[in-house]
Amino acid sequence: MSNKNTSFSTSRRRLLKGLGMVGLLPAIPTIAASTSGHAGHVIVVGGGFGGATAAKYIKRGNPKIDVTLIEPNSTFYTCPFSNLVLAGERSLDSIGHNYDELKNVFGVKVIHAFAEDIDGVAHKVTLSTGEVLSYDRLLLSPGIDMRWNAIEGYDQAASEKAPHAWKAGNQTLLLRKQLEEMEDGGTFVMSVPADPFRCPPGPYERASLVAHYLKHHKPRSKILILDSKDSFSKQGLFTNAWKEIYGDMIEWVGVSGDGRVVRVDADKREVETEFGTLHSASALNIIPPQKAGFIADRAGVTNESGWVPVNPNTFESQQVADIYVVGDATIAAPMPKSGFAANTQGKVAAAAIVASLAGITAPDPYWANTCYSLVNPDYGISVAGVYKVEDNQIITVPGSGGLSAADASSEIRQAEAAYAVGWYEAITQDTWGTKY
Amino acid sequence: MISGYLSCTRGSLIGLLSGATLLLAINAQASDLPERQVSLMSSSCANCHGTDGQLAGAIPAIAGRPASVLEAQLLAFKQDLQPNTTVMNRIAKGYTDEELKSLANYFANVKRK
Ligand SMILES: Cc1cc2nc3c(=O)[nH]c(=O)nc-3n(C[C@H](O)[C@H](O)[C@H](O)COP(=O)(O)OP(=O)(O)OC[C@H]3O[C@@H](n4cnc5c(N)ncnc54)[C@H](O)[C@@H]3O)c2cc1C
Repeated sequence: MSNKNTSFSTSRRRLLKGLGMVGLLPAIPTIAASTSGHAGHVIVVGGGFGGATAAKYIKRGNPKIDVTLIEPNSTFYTCPFSNLVLAGERSLDSIGHNYDELKNVFGVKVIHAFAEDIDGVAHKVTLSTGEVLSYDRLLLSPGIDMRWNAIEGYDQAASEKAPHAWKAGNQTLLLRKQLEEMEDGGTFVMSVPADPFRCPPGPYERASLVAHYLKHHKPRSKILILDSKDSFSKQGLFTNAWKEIYGDMIEWVGVSGDGRVVRVDADKREVETEFGTLHSASALNIIPPQKAGFIADRAGVTNESGWVPVNPNTFESQQVADIYVVGDATIAAPMPKSGFAANTQGKVAAAAIVASLAGITAPDPYWANTCYSLVNPDYGISVAGVYKVEDNQIITVPGSGGLSAADASSEIRQAEAAYAVGWYEAITQDTWGTKY
Repeated sequence: MISGYLSCTRGSLIGLLSGATLLLAINAQASDLPERQVSLMSSSCANCHGTDGQLAGAIPAIAGRPASVLEAQLLAFKQDLQPNTTVMNRIAKGYTDEELKSLANYFANVKRK
């Protein structure tokens, strides 16, 4: 059934709701190409996990809303599975996604440019092309920016020599090259920031998959993780698996063991920690402290932490009306800064925007998250959670979620590794469209 | 047939009622949660099962499977009755039985591509 007129269908739903029969209606209107945009104009900034999902689900919610997506790149390389690219298990190409389905199937207008400025009062976005666009509602999902120079000597130029690889693409390839050029018996050094940062288990998955590569190609090598905190995501699962699979190849040093990197010499591939210890690296990966993408600052939606406070029910900014923000840029704990969470936040914000343009209240939000990590390509572990709002706070639904079992069999680890691949294929299909 | 309701006004409530009654007979299992809410709740499932639960891969598609089967499966996950479960037990515990029932109905009603 094609839902040709949303305002009618809304009142139809209200009528039926009054009769207690809403559950009878087909839940999703099929997509009808829309030419006129009387239902409003939404600009989405950022075509990553949060933004691309939101653009699609706004169109699914009401095809009559005009949606313009602003994203500089024509191919988006996902951070998820980029650690497999680093380990030589996948091509960069295999983690690249484009915007064809959003354009051609859902009728999203895609402009490949940067959003450079936002005027929240006048409801205007200025693009790098000089173009100025007006919106009724704005959704930002700009991801993260690095805090350059938060670690002495680590700025954008240094990141070409000691890559962060915390945005996927060229940075991933730079780090891969260092690994390939590394001698057998060398040390891969990784610096990890304190919370909050993008993908809490990501550094430890990376250490695992780098170990997988080294074990097979340069088995006398070592991995040294210098951490700015004293505990980390899935720690027990990771450390047990490391011992089991990689022996003593991976050494982790927490902040109280002098793990915090305070200075980087990218030319020498050398780092200095808080208490003055120098470590030299054959391959050097600096994951610096982070903040919301700069456009969030320009929009006036960040607070003193550098991240964006949002209304938990809708992900509308607490500071500027009609601007919704999702993904890594937001303060959404206990939800992690994950692609999965950014996607589900995009759907909650999309539903809230569709409702707000129709002048009705937003549906109650629901979010879920599962973060898989691969210890090797056949060994998966996960952390999951289901979230809701209580007393205007996001909470983990009591009893839900948690970690993979500590004592799981190798069959279960193998199943989780296969499900990690299934997850990747599903979430990228849901966000950008069919590829596999 | 439902599209007939698009032009429905209060004046033609009788037509609406008889149509709705007919539908009710077809799907007596519908839950009481508002449809927009179930739709939003179901959208998290897409992250592993594909949009509308349509993607079949390492993780099975759930679109178009009988509601009773889906509901029984979800409840079994929630109650830890399904051996060798990896993550669905942890997810299912985040929803009330009524919510799981609405999800089962929702995906049962999606036409499998
Ligand atoms: C190594 C690694 C592994 C990971 N593994 C997983 C995993 O297994 N599972 C998981 O769920 N998550 C994982 N993540 C986390 C995941 O990548 C992020 O949480 C996710 O990308 C956040 O989505 P987002 O929409 O907030 O930002 P992004 O996905 O980064 O998208 C932001 C987009 O905004 C664009 N943009 C920024 N500023 C502007 C501007 N001014 N104008 C226009 N466009 C702009 C950027 O070009 C980018 O395309 C991993 C991360 C890393 C680093």
